[in-house]
Amino acid sequence: MQLRRVVITGMGSVSPFGRGVAALTDGIEAGRSAVRKMEGWGQYLGLRSLVGAPAELKDEKLIPRLNRRSMGRLSIFAVQAAQDAVADAGLDPALATTGRMGCVVGSTTGSAISISQAFETMLPDHDLTKLSSMQFFHCISHTATMNVAQCLKLNGWVMATSAACASAMQAIGAGYDLIRLGRQDVMLCGGAEELHPTVTGSFDVLFATSVKYNDTPDQTPRPFDRDRDGLVCGEGGGILVLEDYEHAVKRGAPILAEILGYHTCSSGDHVSESSRPAMVTCMHEALRAAQLEPGQVDYVNAHATATMQGDKEEAEAIAEVFGAKVPVSSLKGYIGHTLGASAAIELAASFAGIRKGLLYPTLNLQNVSPECQGVGHIMGGALKREARVVVKNSFAFGGISAVLVCRMG
Amino acid sequence: MTKEEIIKLTNKVFEDAFEIDPEKLTPQAKIFDELGLDSLDIVDLIVALQKQFKVQIREDERVRTIRTLEDVYNFILILKQEEEKK
Repeated sequence: MQLRRVVITGMGSVSPFGRGVAALTDGIEAGRSAVRKMEGWGQYLGLRSLVGAPAELKDEKLIPRLNRRSMGRLSIFAVQAAQDAVADAGLDPALATTGRMGCVVGSTTGSAISISQAFETMLPDHDLTKLSSMQFFHCISHTATMNVAQCLKLNGWVMATSAACASAMQAIGAGYDLIRLGRQDVMLCGGAEELHPTVTGSFDVLFATSVKYNDTPDQTPRPFDRDRDGLVCGEGGGILVLEDYEHAVKRGAPILAEILGYHTCSSGDHVSESSRPAMVTCMHEALRAAQLEPGQVDYVNAHATATMQGDKEEAEAIAEVFGAKVPVSSLKGYIGHTLGASAAIELAASFAGIRKGLLYPTLNLQNVSPECQGVGHIMGGALKREARVVVKNSFAFGGISAVLVCRMG
Repeated sequence: MTKEEIIKLTNKVFEDAFEIDPEKLTPQAKIFDELGLDSLDIVDLIVALQKQFKVQIREDERVRTIRTLEDVYNFILILKQEEEKK
């Protein structure tokens, strides 16, 4: 069976730098940090990390009420990113109802705000009569993908991935396979997430968050840096339009990149400790699927969240696979860790930068940690270099690795 | 509670929870056909009315007979009168 080629023809994002991929790259190119001290978080006993990278909820009333009522914050981000991605790809809206277009959108959980509100409403009096009919639709694990499908009137395949910080990458991988296999022609793939004390708190209790920079928030997170002290949660949504190559060519679509290989695997070892061997395997398998050697890769967009162990393991893994010559950077210093949305948002930013001839540097990387040496860190300013083949890493709690290999269009 | 107060507070529920233009909120307006509410909205209408008027109507069979805005006003009025008699 001849597998079909899959290309990326559109992208959309809502990030801590605002709506649109241009806003995202503007923020990155200005070297800005979207991280700030979060108002009101000091009231939570035991929450040590008081920083976050919030995105602005804007223009949500443009979504019709009958669609919007089932959306929590993260679904609105996902829908807006999907609308922008569809417009970017120049897709005919009529395609939505052909059964040949679907979506895979992931998130760590349903809307964290809505889940919290549901418990706050129900538990004080153990009373369910005050719950809105919409609570279920806000809180379910497939809330983002379901809302994207309903709002855009898609009647093709609809699925959700839920692999925490690798959710968007697994969504892209799933969409890639569906198109390769000929089951769908166009898939909207990505992820969404929202910032909430319960989200940061769940990382904080594991001692994975940044806690030393509450009064200097723009100094954190610090991927690969000697003085890194953990991740900073962000929020937003990122969607890529994946399309059958022939379908895209036939309609004269702009081809941003072609997906050459994808792999995802488990460490089978530990739920929270990062695993260098699993990361290495995942990168090797993705390259093997792409039929490429490590030396043919021009840029690695790292997952690097600035945790002590995760960055160390990833740097060692990248060094083992690629050596020190391939340029590497993480974008989390600018926008924090957008968790289930991160792979899609960071791929969109990377593609947009590369189209301008720029490989973005890792913000807040000033002194490479001794344990993160041996890779080609991009530091200080953007690297002005043409890049053709891009590798994107995505890792998640639960021992999940996911890696994508693309060639720019 | 007077009927005028009930009308004002009920209309506010329709404006706030369902974003309906106040001009459409006439007593004869049909909740499903003209105001555009659906089966899920009715669940939220009940929750909102319970909160607004501090009444329990979720299990009340009379809810099923409501068709127009006037029906809502009258239902709440009856509930409030029943409450006063107690």
